[in-house]
Amino acid sequence: MVSEEYRGAKQWSRDKQAVFTVLWISFLSAPVGTMVFFALFDPVELSGLFHEGLDLSSNAGYAVGFFFFWIFALACSALTAFLVRTAPKRDAAHRDE
Amino acid sequence: MPHTAMSDANPASMYASAKKIYPREIGGRFANLSKLATIVLLGLFYLVPWLTWDDRQAFLFDLPARKFYLMGLTLWPQDFPYLALLLIIAALSLFFFTALAGRLWCGFACPQTVWTEAFIWMEQFTEGTRSQRMKLDKAPWSWNKLRRKGSKQLLWVTFSLWTGFTFVGFFTPIRELGAEFVSFSVGGWTLFWSLFYGFATYGNAGYMREQVCKYMCPYARFQSAMFDKDTLIISYDEKRGEPRGRRKRSVDPKQAGLGDCIDCTLCVQVCPTGIDIRKGLQYECIACAACIDACDSVMDKMNYPRGLVRYTTEHAMQSKQTHVFRPRMMVYAVLLMVLIGSLVTSMAQRTPIILDIIRDRNTLYRELPGDVIENSYTIKLINQSNDARLFRISVSGVEGIWLDGIEDTIRVDGGGVVSLPVRVRAQRNNAYGIMKIDFLAEAMDETGDKRKEDSRFLGPTP
Repeated sequence: MVSEEYRGAKQWSRDKQAVFTVLWISFLSAPVGTMVFFALFDPVELSGLFHEGLDLSSNAGYAVGFFFFWIFALACSALTAFLVRTAPKRDAAHRDE
Repeated sequence: MPHTAMSDANPASMYASAKKIYPREIGGRFANLSKLATIVLLGLFYLVPWLTWDDRQAFLFDLPARKFYLMGLTLWPQDFPYLALLLIIAALSLFFFTALAGRLWCGFACPQTVWTEAFIWMEQFTEGTRSQRMKLDKAPWSWNKLRRKGSKQLLWVTFSLWTGFTFVGFFTPIRELGAEFVSFSVGGWTLFWSLFYGFATYGNAGYMREQVCKYMCPYARFQSAMFDKDTLIISYDEKRGEPRGRRKRSVDPKQAGLGDCIDCTLCVQVCPTGIDIRKGLQYECIACAACIDACDSVMDKMNYPRGLVRYTTEHAMQSKQTHVFRPRMMVYAVLLMVLIGSLVTSMAQRTPIILDIIRDRNTLYRELPGDVIENSYTIKLINQSNDARLFRISVSGVEGIWLDGIEDTIRVDGGGVVSLPVRVRAQRNNAYGIMKIDFLAEAMDETGDKRKEDSRFLGPTP
Protein backbone atom coordinates (compact mmCIF):
# COMPACT_ATOMS: atom_id res chain seq x y z
CA MET A 1 0.00 0.00 0.00
CA VAL A 2 2.84 2.17 -0.83
CA SER A 3 1.90 4.32 -3.66
CA GLU A 4 -0.54 6.03 -1.31
CA GLU A 5 2.37 8.34 -0.95
CA TYR A 6 2.03 9.27 -4.56
CA ARG A 7 -1.69 9.26 -4.86
CA GLY A 8 -1.47 12.86 -3.76
CA ALA A 9 1.40 13.57 -6.14
CA LYS A 10 1.05 16.66 -8.23
CA GLN A 11 -1.26 16.24 -11.20
CA TRP A 12 -2.07 18.92 -13.69
CA SER A 13 -5.62 19.97 -14.34
CA ARG A 14 -7.02 19.40 -17.85
CA ASP A 15 -6.81 23.13 -18.57
CA LYS A 16 -3.23 23.40 -17.47
CA GLN A 17 -2.33 20.35 -19.55
CA ALA A 18 -3.94 21.89 -22.61
CA VAL A 19 -2.31 25.29 -22.17
CA PHE A 20 1.20 23.95 -21.64
CA THR A 21 0.94 21.30 -24.35
CA VAL A 22 -0.19 23.87 -26.89
CA LEU A 23 2.60 26.27 -25.86
CA TRP A 24 5.27 23.59 -25.90
CA ILE A 25 4.38 21.80 -29.12
CA SER A 26 4.08 25.05 -31.04
CA PHE A 27 7.40 26.12 -29.51
CA LEU A 28 9.00 22.92 -30.81
CA SER A 29 7.46 23.37 -34.27
CA ALA A 30 8.54 27.00 -34.65
CA PRO A 31 12.29 26.34 -35.07
CA VAL A 32 11.57 23.73 -37.75
CA GLY A 33 9.50 26.19 -39.78
CA THR A 34 12.04 28.95 -39.16
CA MET A 35 14.89 26.72 -40.30
CA VAL A 36 13.24 25.63 -43.54
CA PHE A 37 12.04 29.15 -44.35
CA PHE A 38 15.34 30.90 -43.76
CA ALA A 39 17.32 28.21 -45.56
CA LEU A 40 15.46 29.42 -48.64
CA PHE A 41 15.23 33.17 -47.95
CA ASP A 42 17.67 35.66 -46.53
CA PRO A 43 15.92 37.90 -43.97
CA VAL A 44 17.97 40.92 -45.04
CA GLU A 45 16.83 40.57 -48.66
CA LEU A 46 13.23 39.97 -47.56
CA SER A 47 12.93 43.03 -45.34
CA GLY A 48 13.50 45.27 -48.37
CA LEU A 49 10.53 43.68 -50.13
CA PHE A 50 7.88 44.66 -47.62
CA HIS A 51 8.75 48.22 -47.00
CA GLU A 52 11.24 50.51 -48.64
CA GLY A 53 13.81 51.50 -46.09
CA LEU A 54 12.68 48.94 -43.53
CA ASP A 55 16.18 48.06 -42.51
CA LEU A 56 15.86 44.93 -40.41
CA SER A 57 19.07 43.38 -39.14
CA SER A 58 19.37 39.68 -39.85
CA ASN A 59 19.08 38.86 -36.13
CA ALA A 60 15.83 40.79 -35.88
CA GLY A 61 14.64 39.04 -39.06
CA TYR A 62 15.24 35.61 -37.59
CA ALA A 63 13.51 36.61 -34.36
CA VAL A 64 10.47 37.94 -36.22
CA GLY A 65 10.40 34.73 -38.27
CA PHE A 66 10.64 32.55 -35.18
CA PHE A 67 7.82 34.36 -33.38
CA PHE A 68 5.70 34.39 -36.51
CA PHE A 69 5.99 30.62 -36.76
CA TRP A 70 5.43 30.18 -33.03
CA ILE A 71 2.30 32.29 -32.97
CA PHE A 72 1.04 30.66 -36.15
CA ALA A 73 1.51 27.15 -34.73
CA LEU A 74 0.14 28.30 -31.39
CA ALA A 75 -3.06 29.59 -32.96
CA CYS A 76 -3.49 26.38 -34.93
CA SER A 77 -2.83 24.12 -31.92
CA ALA A 78 -4.98 26.19 -29.60
CA LEU A 79 -7.94 26.14 -31.98
CA THR A 80 -7.59 22.38 -32.47
CA ALA A 81 -7.37 21.76 -28.73
CA PHE A 82 -10.33 24.05 -28.13
CA LEU A 83 -12.52 22.35 -30.75
CA VAL A 84 -11.60 18.85 -29.62
CA ARG A 85 -12.24 19.64 -25.98
CA THR A 86 -15.50 21.50 -26.44
CA ALA A 87 -17.00 19.17 -29.05
CA PRO A 88 -20.49 17.93 -28.17
CA LYS A 89 -20.35 14.52 -26.53
CA ARG A 90 -21.89 11.62 -28.38
CA ASP A 91 -25.00 10.38 -26.64
CA ALA A 92 -25.04 6.98 -25.01
CA ALA A 93 -26.75 5.26 -27.92
CA HIS A 94 -23.84 5.97 -30.26
CA ARG A 95 -21.03 5.44 -27.83
CA ASP A 96 -20.53 1.70 -28.32
CA GLU A 97 -20.09 1.85 -32.07
CA MET B 1 1.90 2.48 9.48
CA PRO B 2 3.79 -0.40 7.92
CA HIS B 3 7.32 -0.98 8.99
CA THR B 4 10.34 -2.14 7.08
CA ALA B 5 12.89 -4.89 7.40
CA MET B 6 15.63 -2.49 6.57
CA SER B 7 17.17 -1.58 9.87
CA ASP B 8 19.33 1.23 8.54
CA ALA B 9 16.60 3.10 6.71
CA ASN B 10 15.25 6.24 8.25
CA PRO B 11 11.54 5.62 8.77
CA ALA B 12 10.70 9.30 8.70
CA SER B 13 11.90 9.54 5.12
CA MET B 14 9.75 6.69 3.91
CA TYR B 15 6.11 7.34 4.47
CA ALA B 16 5.62 11.04 4.47
CA SER B 17 2.90 11.94 2.00
CA ALA B 18 3.93 14.24 -0.79
CA LYS B 19 2.20 16.64 -3.11
CA LYS B 20 5.46 17.30 -4.85
CA ILE B 21 7.73 14.49 -5.97
CA TYR B 22 10.94 14.39 -4.00
CA PRO B 23 13.07 11.82 -5.80
CA ARG B 24 15.28 9.96 -3.35
CA GLU B 25 18.97 9.85 -4.21
CA ILE B 26 20.25 6.42 -5.14
CA GLY B 27 23.60 4.92 -6.04
CA GLY B 28 24.21 1.93 -8.28
CA ARG B 29 25.11 0.79 -11.76
CA PHE B 30 22.45 2.74 -13.62
CA ALA B 31 22.81 5.82 -11.44
CA ASN B 32 26.50 5.87 -12.37
CA LEU B 33 25.65 5.44 -16.02
CA SER B 34 23.18 8.29 -15.92
CA LYS B 35 25.69 10.51 -14.06
CA LEU B 36 28.23 9.72 -16.76
CA ALA B 37 25.72 10.52 -19.51
CA THR B 38 24.81 13.80 -17.82
CA ILE B 39 28.42 14.85 -17.38
CA VAL B 40 29.41 13.90 -20.94
CA LEU B 41 26.38 15.51 -22.62
CA LEU B 42 26.36 18.69 -20.55
CA GLY B 43 30.16 18.84 -20.82
CA LEU B 44 29.87 18.73 -24.59
CA PHE B 45 27.19 21.41 -24.61
CA TYR B 46 29.16 23.82 -22.42
CA LEU B 47 32.61 23.15 -23.94
CA VAL B 48 31.99 22.78 -27.67
CA PRO B 49 31.42 26.50 -28.39
CA TRP B 50 34.85 27.26 -26.91
CA LEU B 51 36.74 24.97 -29.30
CA THR B 52 38.63 26.65 -32.11
CA TRP B 53 39.59 25.42 -35.56
CA ASP B 54 41.83 27.44 -37.90
CA ASP B 55 41.51 30.63 -35.82
CA ARG B 56 37.75 30.54 -35.67
CA GLN B 57 35.10 28.84 -33.57
CA ALA B 58 35.02 25.13 -34.48
CA PHE B 59 31.23 24.81 -34.24
CA LEU B 60 29.45 28.00 -35.17
CA PHE B 61 26.03 28.41 -36.74
CA ASP B 62 26.61 31.89 -38.05
CA LEU B 63 23.08 33.03 -38.82
CA PRO B 64 23.82 36.64 -39.91
CA ALA B 65 26.40 35.38 -42.42
CA ARG B 66 24.17 32.36 -43.25
CA LYS B 67 27.02 29.88 -42.94
CA PHE B 68 27.42 26.89 -40.64
CA TYR B 69 30.97 26.03 -39.60
CA LEU B 70 31.53 22.46 -38.47
CA MET B 71 35.26 22.14 -37.87
CA GLY B 72 36.83 22.21 -41.36
CA LEU B 73 33.49 22.11 -43.14
CA THR B 74 31.46 25.16 -44.13
CA LEU B 75 27.81 24.59 -44.93
CA TRP B 76 25.68 27.05 -46.91
CA PRO B 77 21.90 27.45 -47.14
CA GLN B 78 22.20 25.45 -50.38
CA ASP B 79 23.35 22.50 -48.25
CA PHE B 80 20.05 22.41 -46.38
CA PRO B 81 19.19 18.90 -47.73
CA TYR B 82 22.08 17.52 -45.66
CA LEU B 83 20.53 18.94 -42.52
CA ALA B 84 17.14 17.52 -43.43
CA LEU B 85 18.70 14.11 -44.07
CA LEU B 86 20.55 14.31 -40.76
CA LEU B 87 17.30 15.03 -38.90
CA ILE B 88 15.57 12.08 -40.59
CA ILE B 89 18.49 9.84 -39.58
CA ALA B 90 18.23 11.10 -36.00
CA ALA B 91 14.50 10.34 -35.87
CA LEU B 92 14.98 6.88 -37.33
CA SER B 93 17.80 6.11 -34.87
CA LEU B 94 15.41 7.05 -32.10
CA PHE B 95 12.89 4.53 -33.46
CA PHE B 96 15.60 1.89 -33.79
CA PHE B 97 16.88 2.25 -30.23
CA THR B 98 13.36 2.47 -28.83
CA ALA B 99 12.38 -0.82 -30.46
CA LEU B 100 15.61 -2.40 -29.24
CA ALA B 101 15.88 -1.16 -25.68
CA GLY B 102 12.87 0.97 -24.81
CA ARG B 103 13.16 4.53 -23.68
CA LEU B 104 16.94 4.77 -23.53
CA TRP B 105 16.62 8.28 -24.92
CA CYS B 106 14.33 9.41 -22.08
CA GLY B 107 16.40 7.89 -19.31
CA PHE B 108 19.85 8.99 -20.37
CA ALA B 109 20.04 11.39 -23.30
CA CYS B 110 17.01 13.69 -23.40
CA PRO B 111 17.96 17.29 -22.55
CA GLN B 112 14.96 17.40 -20.22
CA THR B 113 16.37 14.47 -18.20
CA VAL B 114 19.96 15.64 -18.34
CA TRP B 115 19.26 19.20 -17.19
CA THR B 116 16.79 18.02 -14.57
CA GLU B 117 19.50 15.72 -13.21
CA ALA B 118 21.92 18.64 -12.97
CA PHE B 119 19.27 20.78 -11.24
CA ILE B 120 18.55 17.97 -8.77
CA TRP B 121 22.26 17.79 -7.92
CA MET B 122 22.21 21.47 -7.07
CA GLU B 123 19.06 20.96 -5.04
CA GLN B 124 20.64 18.11 -3.07
CA PHE B 125 23.79 20.14 -2.56
CA THR B 126 21.94 23.06 -1.02
CA GLU B 127 18.84 21.47 0.54
CA GLY B 128 20.15 18.02 1.42
CA THR B 129 18.67 14.56 1.07
CA ARG B 130 15.08 13.66 0.25
CA SER B 131 13.95 13.63 3.88
CA GLN B 132 15.76 16.88 4.62
CA ARG B 133 14.13 18.53 1.62
CA MET B 134 10.67 17.35 2.70
CA LYS B 135 11.25 18.58 6.23
CA LEU B 136 12.59 21.89 4.99
CA ASP B 137 9.54 22.49 2.81
CA LYS B 138 7.21 21.84 5.73
CA ALA B 139 9.16 23.92 8.22
CA PRO B 140 8.25 27.56 8.78
CA TRP B 141 10.50 30.21 7.27
CA SER B 142 13.70 30.59 9.21
CA TRP B 143 17.18 31.88 8.56
CA ASN B 144 18.29 28.33 7.72
CA LYS B 145 15.45 27.80 5.27
CA LEU B 146 16.07 31.15 3.64
CA ARG B 147 19.77 30.44 3.33
CA ARG B 148 19.24 26.98 1.82
CA LYS B 149 16.46 28.01 -0.57
CA GLY B 150 18.34 31.20 -1.45
CA SER B 151 21.54 29.40 -2.30
CA LYS B 152 19.61 26.87 -4.38
CA GLN B 153 18.03 29.70 -6.37
CA LEU B 154 21.40 31.39 -6.74
CA LEU B 155 22.92 28.19 -8.16
CA TRP B 156 19.93 27.53 -10.42
CA VAL B 157 19.76 31.07 -11.78
CA THR B 158 23.51 31.30 -12.37
CA PHE B 159 23.52 27.94 -14.11
CA SER B 160 20.51 28.92 -16.24
CA LEU B 161 22.08 32.20 -17.28
CA TRP B 162 25.28 30.40 -18.22
CA THR B 163 23.19 27.90 -20.20
CA GLY B 164 21.44 30.70 -22.11
CA PHE B 165 24.78 32.37 -22.80
CA THR B 166 26.26 29.08 -24.07
CA PHE B 167 23.23 28.46 -26.29
CA VAL B 168 23.60 31.84 -27.96
CA GLY B 169 27.34 31.11 -28.19
CA PHE B 170 26.55 28.47 -30.79
CA PHE B 171 25.15 31.21 -33.05
CA THR B 172 27.37 34.18 -32.21
CA PRO B 173 31.14 33.89 -31.71
CA ILE B 174 31.21 33.05 -28.00
CA ARG B 175 34.46 34.80 -27.11
CA GLU B 176 33.26 38.13 -28.49
CA LEU B 177 29.88 37.51 -26.86
CA GLY B 178 31.58 36.93 -23.51
CA ALA B 179 33.49 40.20 -23.86
CA GLU B 180 30.24 42.00 -24.70
CA PHE B 181 28.52 40.57 -21.64
CA VAL B 182 31.40 41.60 -19.40
CA SER B 183 31.39 45.15 -20.76
CA PHE B 184 27.55 45.36 -20.75
CA SER B 185 27.52 46.16 -24.47
CA VAL B 186 25.59 43.10 -25.58
CA GLY B 187 23.02 43.52 -28.35
CA GLY B 188 19.30 43.48 -27.61
CA TRP B 189 18.41 40.31 -29.49
CA THR B 190 21.41 38.41 -28.20
CA LEU B 191 20.51 39.34 -24.65
CA PHE B 192 16.88 38.42 -25.27
CA TRP B 193 17.70 34.92 -26.59
CA SER B 194 20.16 34.27 -23.74
CA LEU B 195 17.53 35.13 -21.16
CA PHE B 196 14.83 33.28 -23.07
CA TYR B 197 16.77 30.03 -23.26
CA GLY B 198 18.02 30.45 -19.70
CA PHE B 199 14.48 30.94 -18.43
CA ALA B 200 13.23 27.90 -20.35
CA THR B 201 15.99 25.80 -18.76
CA TYR B 202 15.16 27.13 -15.31
CA GLY B 203 11.46 26.42 -15.66
CA ASN B 204 11.77 23.02 -17.34
CA ALA B 205 14.57 21.55 -15.23
CA GLY B 206 13.85 23.30 -11.94
CA TYR B 207 10.06 23.12 -11.72
CA MET B 208 8.25 21.26 -14.49
CA ARG B 209 10.56 18.25 -14.56
CA GLU B 210 8.60 15.00 -14.96
CA GLN B 211 5.44 16.95 -15.85
CA VAL B 212 7.06 17.76 -19.20
CA CYS B 213 7.45 14.03 -19.89
CA LYS B 214 3.97 13.21 -18.64
CA TYR B 215 1.91 15.94 -20.26
CA MET B 216 3.95 17.77 -22.86
CA CYS B 217 6.21 15.29 -24.61
CA PRO B 218 4.87 13.78 -27.85
CA TYR B 219 7.54 11.06 -27.95
CA ALA B 220 6.48 9.81 -24.52
CA ARG B 221 2.96 9.26 -25.85
CA PHE B 222 3.76 7.46 -29.07
CA GLN B 223 6.88 5.54 -28.09
CA SER B 224 4.76 2.55 -27.10
CA ALA B 225 3.94 2.11 -30.81
CA MET B 226 7.56 1.07 -31.32
CA PHE B 227 7.47 -1.45 -28.50
CA ASP B 228 6.88 -5.15 -28.96
CA LYS B 229 7.31 -8.21 -26.79
CA ASP B 230 11.05 -8.30 -27.54
CA THR B 231 11.77 -4.74 -26.47
CA LEU B 232 13.92 -4.27 -23.38
CA ILE B 233 11.79 -2.70 -20.69
CA ILE B 234 12.13 -2.23 -16.96
CA SER B 235 9.86 -4.71 -15.23
CA TYR B 236 9.08 -6.04 -11.83
CA ASP B 237 9.20 -9.84 -11.73
CA GLU B 238 5.75 -10.45 -10.33
CA LYS B 239 6.07 -14.23 -10.21
CA ARG B 240 9.14 -13.91 -8.06
CA GLY B 241 8.11 -10.97 -5.95
CA GLU B 242 4.53 -11.81 -4.95
CA PRO B 243 3.05 -12.14 -2.45
CA ARG B 244 5.00 -9.17 -1.19
CA GLY B 245 5.41 -8.48 2.48
CA ARG B 246 7.71 -7.43 5.25
CA ARG B 247 9.84 -9.94 7.04
CA LYS B 248 12.95 -10.20 9.15
CA ARG B 249 16.14 -11.00 7.33
CA SER B 250 16.34 -14.35 9.14
CA VAL B 251 12.93 -15.51 7.89
CA ASP B 252 12.96 -17.91 4.95
CA PRO B 253 10.44 -16.38 2.52
CA LYS B 254 9.35 -19.79 1.18
CA GLN B 255 8.38 -21.04 4.61
CA ALA B 256 6.60 -17.79 5.42
CA GLY B 257 4.69 -18.06 2.13
CA LEU B 258 6.16 -14.81 0.81
CA GLY B 259 7.72 -13.71 -2.47
CA ASP B 260 10.99 -11.83 -2.70
CA CYS B 261 9.48 -8.32 -2.56
CA ILE B 262 9.86 -7.00 0.97
CA ASP B 263 7.61 -4.03 0.20
CA CYS B 264 10.21 -1.51 1.30
CA THR B 265 8.87 0.96 -1.31
CA LEU B 266 12.34 2.20 -2.20
CA CYS B 267 11.57 1.64 -5.89
CA VAL B 268 8.70 4.12 -5.58
CA GLN B 269 10.68 6.65 -3.59
CA VAL B 270 13.51 6.89 -6.08
CA CYS B 271 11.20 7.24 -9.08
CA PRO B 272 11.49 10.73 -10.56
CA THR B 273 8.01 10.41 -12.08
CA GLY B 274 6.49 8.98 -8.91
CA ILE B 275 5.12 5.69 -10.24
CA ASP B 276 5.10 2.21 -8.74
CA ILE B 277 6.92 -0.08 -11.19
CA ARG B 278 5.29 -3.08 -9.53
CA LYS B 279 2.01 -2.14 -11.17
CA GLY B 280 3.51 -2.95 -14.56
CA LEU B 281 4.75 -0.84 -17.46
CA GLN B 282 3.29 2.66 -17.35
CA TYR B 283 3.65 5.42 -19.87
CA GLU B 284 5.05 7.76 -17.22
CA CYS B 285 8.12 5.51 -16.89
CA ILE B 286 11.10 7.23 -18.48
CA ALA B 287 13.32 4.15 -18.05
CA CYS B 288 15.86 5.88 -15.86
CA ALA B 289 16.45 2.54 -14.05
CA ALA B 290 16.64 4.17 -10.61
CA CYS B 291 14.22 1.51 -9.31
CA ILE B 292 16.57 -1.24 -10.51
CA ASP B 293 19.43 0.27 -8.51
CA ALA B 294 17.19 0.68 -5.47
CA CYS B 295 15.84 -2.87 -5.60
CA ASP B 296 19.27 -4.40 -6.26
CA SER B 297 20.65 -2.69 -3.16
CA VAL B 298 17.81 -4.11 -1.07
CA MET B 299 18.20 -7.61 -2.55
CA ASP B 300 21.89 -7.45 -1.66
CA LYS B 301 21.07 -6.55 1.92
CA MET B 302 18.55 -9.37 2.15
CA ASN B 303 20.95 -11.82 0.50
CA TYR B 304 18.44 -12.47 -2.26
CA PRO B 305 19.56 -12.63 -5.89
CA ARG B 306 19.43 -9.31 -7.74
CA GLY B 307 17.01 -8.59 -10.56
CA LEU B 308 13.58 -8.54 -8.93
CA VAL B 309 13.22 -5.29 -10.89
CA ARG B 310 15.33 -5.50 -14.03
CA TYR B 311 15.77 -4.76 -17.70
CA THR B 312 14.03 -7.56 -19.51
CA THR B 313 11.57 -8.27 -22.31
CA GLU B 314 7.97 -9.37 -22.14
CA HIS B 315 8.93 -12.62 -23.86
CA ALA B 316 11.69 -13.30 -21.34
CA MET B 317 9.24 -12.65 -18.51
CA GLN B 318 6.98 -15.33 -19.97
CA SER B 319 10.02 -17.65 -20.19
CA LYS B 320 10.02 -17.43 -23.97
CA GLN B 321 12.84 -16.72 -26.39
CA THR B 322 13.70 -13.04 -26.96
CA HIS B 323 14.42 -12.17 -30.59
CA VAL B 324 16.79 -9.31 -31.17
CA PHE B 325 16.84 -9.69 -34.97
CA ARG B 326 13.17 -9.37 -35.82
CA PRO B 327 11.61 -7.89 -38.96
CA ARG B 328 10.98 -4.52 -37.32
CA MET B 329 14.63 -4.18 -36.35
CA MET B 330 15.75 -5.27 -39.83
CA VAL B 331 13.58 -2.65 -41.51
CA TYR B 332 14.84 0.13 -39.22
CA ALA B 333 18.45 -1.02 -39.62
CA VAL B 334 18.33 -1.25 -43.41
CA LEU B 335 16.65 2.16 -43.72
CA LEU B 336 19.21 3.66 -41.37
CA MET B 337 22.14 2.20 -43.28
CA VAL B 338 20.78 3.39 -46.62
CA LEU B 339 20.25 6.93 -45.29
CA ILE B 340 23.61 7.13 -43.50
CA GLY B 341 25.31 5.71 -46.58
CA SER B 342 23.71 8.27 -48.87
CA LEU B 343 24.56 11.12 -46.49
CA VAL B 344 28.20 10.05 -46.28
CA THR B 345 28.62 9.54 -50.04
CA SER B 346 26.89 12.78 -50.95
CA MET B 347 28.99 14.67 -48.40
CA ALA B 348 32.14 13.03 -49.73
CA GLN B 349 31.26 13.91 -53.32
CA ARG B 350 30.21 17.42 -52.46
CA THR B 351 32.26 19.93 -54.44
CA PRO B 352 32.52 23.30 -52.73
CA ILE B 353 31.43 25.20 -55.85
CA ILE B 354 27.99 26.56 -56.59
CA LEU B 355 27.14 27.71 -60.08
CA ASP B 356 23.89 29.54 -60.81
CA ILE B 357 22.98 30.48 -64.38
CA ILE B 358 20.33 33.16 -64.87
CA ARG B 359 19.29 33.77 -68.46
CA ASP B 360 18.62 37.37 -69.43
CA ARG B 361 14.83 37.42 -69.81
CA ASN B 362 14.56 40.71 -71.68
CA THR B 363 15.72 39.48 -75.06
CA LEU B 364 15.33 36.09 -76.65
CA TYR B 365 18.47 36.44 -78.75
CA ARG B 366 20.39 39.02 -80.70
CA GLU B 367 21.62 38.80 -84.26
CA LEU B 368 25.12 40.13 -84.75
CA PRO B 369 26.91 40.88 -87.99
CA GLY B 370 28.64 37.87 -89.51
CA ASP B 371 25.69 35.51 -88.95
CA VAL B 372 26.31 35.25 -85.21
CA ILE B 373 23.55 34.61 -82.63
CA GLU B 374 24.09 35.95 -79.12
CA ASN B 375 22.33 35.14 -75.78
CA SER B 376 23.08 36.90 -72.49
CA TYR B 377 23.36 35.36 -69.05
CA THR B 378 24.40 36.25 -65.53
CA ILE B 379 26.63 33.66 -63.92
CA LYS B 380 26.76 33.48 -60.13
CA LEU B 381 29.82 31.62 -58.96
CA ILE B 382 30.16 30.78 -55.25
CA ASN B 383 33.34 29.45 -53.72
CA GLN B 384 32.26 27.48 -50.65
CA SER B 385 35.79 26.60 -49.57
CA ASN B 386 37.69 28.69 -47.05
CA ASP B 387 40.50 29.76 -49.39
CA ALA B 388 40.55 31.93 -52.52
CA ARG B 389 40.50 29.89 -55.73
CA LEU B 390 40.88 30.46 -59.47
CA PHE B 391 38.22 29.17 -61.83
CA ARG B 392 37.82 28.74 -65.57
CA ILE B 393 34.35 28.85 -67.08
CA SER B 394 33.45 27.21 -70.36
CA VAL B 395 30.30 26.43 -72.29
CA SER B 396 29.32 23.49 -74.50
CA GLY B 397 26.28 21.88 -76.11
CA VAL B 398 26.13 23.70 -79.46
CA GLU B 399 28.75 23.25 -82.14
CA GLY B 400 31.33 26.06 -82.17
CA ILE B 401 29.73 27.89 -79.21
CA TRP B 402 31.95 30.38 -77.37
CA LEU B 403 31.90 32.78 -74.44
CA ASP B 404 32.47 36.50 -74.83
CA GLY B 405 33.20 39.18 -72.28
CA ILE B 406 34.69 36.95 -69.62
CA GLU B 407 38.19 36.67 -68.25
CA ASP B 408 40.14 33.46 -68.75
CA THR B 409 40.58 33.00 -65.02
CA ILE B 410 38.18 34.20 -62.36
CA ARG B 411 39.31 34.67 -58.80
CA VAL B 412 36.78 34.05 -56.02
CA ASP B 413 37.68 34.64 -52.39
CA GLY B 414 37.09 31.96 -49.78
CA GLY B 415 33.37 31.98 -49.04
CA GLY B 416 32.88 34.63 -51.72
CA VAL B 417 30.31 35.15 -54.47
CA VAL B 418 31.08 36.57 -57.92
CA SER B 419 28.42 37.74 -60.36
CA LEU B 420 29.46 37.71 -64.03
CA PRO B 421 27.42 39.06 -66.95
CA VAL B 422 28.42 36.99 -70.00
CA ARG B 423 27.48 36.72 -73.65
CA VAL B 424 27.33 33.37 -75.36
CA ARG B 425 27.68 33.28 -79.13
CA ALA B 426 27.27 30.70 -81.89
CA GLN B 427 27.12 30.68 -85.70
CA ARG B 428 23.60 31.01 -87.09
CA ASN B 429 23.74 27.75 -89.00
CA ASN B 430 24.40 25.88 -85.73
CA ALA B 431 21.89 27.73 -83.56
CA TYR B 432 18.17 27.38 -84.14
CA GLY B 433 15.17 26.89 -81.89
CA ILE B 434 15.68 26.12 -78.20
CA MET B 435 18.89 24.31 -77.42
CA LYS B 436 20.28 22.99 -74.14
CA ILE B 437 23.76 24.18 -73.26
CA ASP B 438 26.04 23.37 -70.34
CA PHE B 439 28.14 25.79 -68.36
CA LEU B 440 31.17 24.33 -66.61
CA ALA B 441 33.18 25.94 -63.81
CA GLU B 442 36.52 24.23 -63.18
CA ALA B 443 38.86 24.99 -60.31
CA MET B 444 42.35 25.64 -61.69
CA ASP B 445 44.20 23.57 -59.12
CA GLU B 446 45.08 19.93 -58.60
CA THR B 447 41.73 19.09 -56.91
CA GLY B 448 39.93 18.91 -60.28
CA ASP B 449 36.75 20.24 -58.61
CA LYS B 450 34.15 21.23 -61.16
CA ARG B 451 30.49 22.04 -61.33
CA LYS B 452 28.18 21.82 -64.35
CA GLU B 453 24.85 23.65 -64.74
CA ASP B 454 22.64 23.66 -67.79
CA SER B 455 20.65 26.46 -69.37
CA ARG B 456 18.87 27.29 -72.64
CA PHE B 457 20.29 28.89 -75.77
CA LEU B 458 17.74 30.42 -78.12
CA GLY B 459 18.13 30.96 -81.83
CA PRO B 460 15.81 31.87 -84.74
CA THR B 461 13.21 29.31 -85.78
CA PRO B 462 14.55 27.47 -88.79
